[in-house]
Amino acid sequence: MNRVKSSIDKKQVVAATGLFLILFVVAHLAGNLFIYGGPEAFNGYARKLAGLRPGLYFVEAALLAVFLVHLDATARLVLENLRARPVGYRQGHSAAGGSFASRLMPWTGAAIVAFVIWHLRDLTFVDRAGPAGILPDGRGYGLFGVVYNSLGNPVHGVLYIAAMLAVGTHLSHGIQSFIQTFGLVGEHRLPAVRRVSNGLGILIALAYSSIPVYVQLSFGAFK
Amino acid sequence: MAKTINLTLHVWRQKGTQDKGRFEVYKAEGIDTDMSFLEMLDVVNERLIKEGKEPVAFDHDCREGICGACGAVVNGRPHGPMDKTTLCQLHMRRFKDNDTITIEPWRARGFPVVKDLVVDRSAFDQIMAAGGFISVKTGSAPEANTVPVRRQDAETAMDAAACIGCGACVAACPNASAMLFVGAKVSHFGLLPQGRVEAKERVRGMVARMDAEGFGNCSNHYECEAACPKGISVSTIARMNREYLSSELAE
Repeated sequence: MNRVKSSIDKKQVVAATGLFLILFVVAHLAGNLFIYGGPEAFNGYARKLAGLRPGLYFVEAALLAVFLVHLDATARLVLENLRARPVGYRQGHSAAGGSFASRLMPWTGAAIVAFVIWHLRDLTFVDRAGPAGILPDGRGYGLFGVVYNSLGNPVHGVLYIAAMLAVGTHLSHGIQSFIQTFGLVGEHRLPAVRRVSNGLGILIALAYSSIPVYVQLSFGAFK
Repeated sequence: MAKTINLTLHVWRQKGTQDKGRFEVYKAEGIDTDMSFLEMLDVVNERLIKEGKEPVAFDHDCREGICGACGAVVNGRPHGPMDKTTLCQLHMRRFKDNDTITIEPWRARGFPVVKDLVVDRSAFDQIMAAGGFISVKTGSAPEANTVPVRRQDAETAMDAAACIGCGACVAACPNASAMLFVGAKVSHFGLLPQGRVEAKERVRGMVARMDAEGFGNCSNHYECEAACPKGISVSTIARMNREYLSSELAE
């Protein structure tokens, strides 16, 4: 890490770790969508994933490390950016079309950190065989039941959707920033990259947000 | 008969580097709409001098939009509301009668205010000295056709060379980053065969100096591109990023 000194070094560390996290978000989403297949499909997927241990511990450790490096590098960049303009303007104006996603990056990022902590407590570090997995019909549904009990709660559902909006907003700027920070495309493709990035951000947010909505709508089937 | 307008100016006044500075309000009356923005300030200054007051200090040189000396943030936009136009080429016909105009200096740690609207942009000179040049054997001009340059490269290099180093990119950037300026210079030299020789040292040297001068880090808002009076593209930043990475990997 001693070689990560310059502004561009740090930006490229953020971009590289960001790409890893984007891939994780997409893979996680693919797994989540098994919820639409019912308890057997969803729990079956979870069992298969758990069957990959102990190799999975290695992936989880790498993911945690990448997450922390992403946070560390972005925190340094944000602090440097704040210091770079000690006296602000009286009158602000955005001429670049006013992308709120780019300006909100540190805030959507902070929201995602808070969400991840809550999410792990809520769904990962729980006893799946215990009462958390039992639905109102009195039967235990394992992880499927845990997800239904959590997201079946309207407050949890709304918080989850709010967090997914933060993820989508973060990614809509993050994906195009990854391309730009590694200089992967030239001038003519940049507008297309922006459109694809914004589209993917919205798509990912919508796909994740569909889950609590579906849980709410289908919760009655387990009474 | 030329049209005239009356304006209210909120101008940043700061005696020197140590002064905290404040906004002061001035009336600019009977301003000919064919005047440039700087000529309007000249009129205000003439009156201030007659009243025995200190005129508003601002940088200017060619007043033809090609030197990069002038610039102030007008109503929140570097060089004012016209796209691809320097402050000296902004005309008062762009404003309406009785408008209120806020005029501020570039705001960045790398550009400390010297006085009023004048900022010290020698940080850009330092960045240029760290690699913004080509070391050539001087002597008689070589035969032009001995070094072929691809048409597209020549065009893109020339587009980047349009940068006049005014600093509007830094002023517009939410992070006060100078990456559009450095990207333009890296592209301008690096796209030409004469500049390729020192490309790796150039990008590393200029980026290191840019960081040392206290500019922020690009976070891809692209406010710089929108503010640039010469329309420098943010693809120059992408090229700088790419060249920087390849210089690191080549080490």
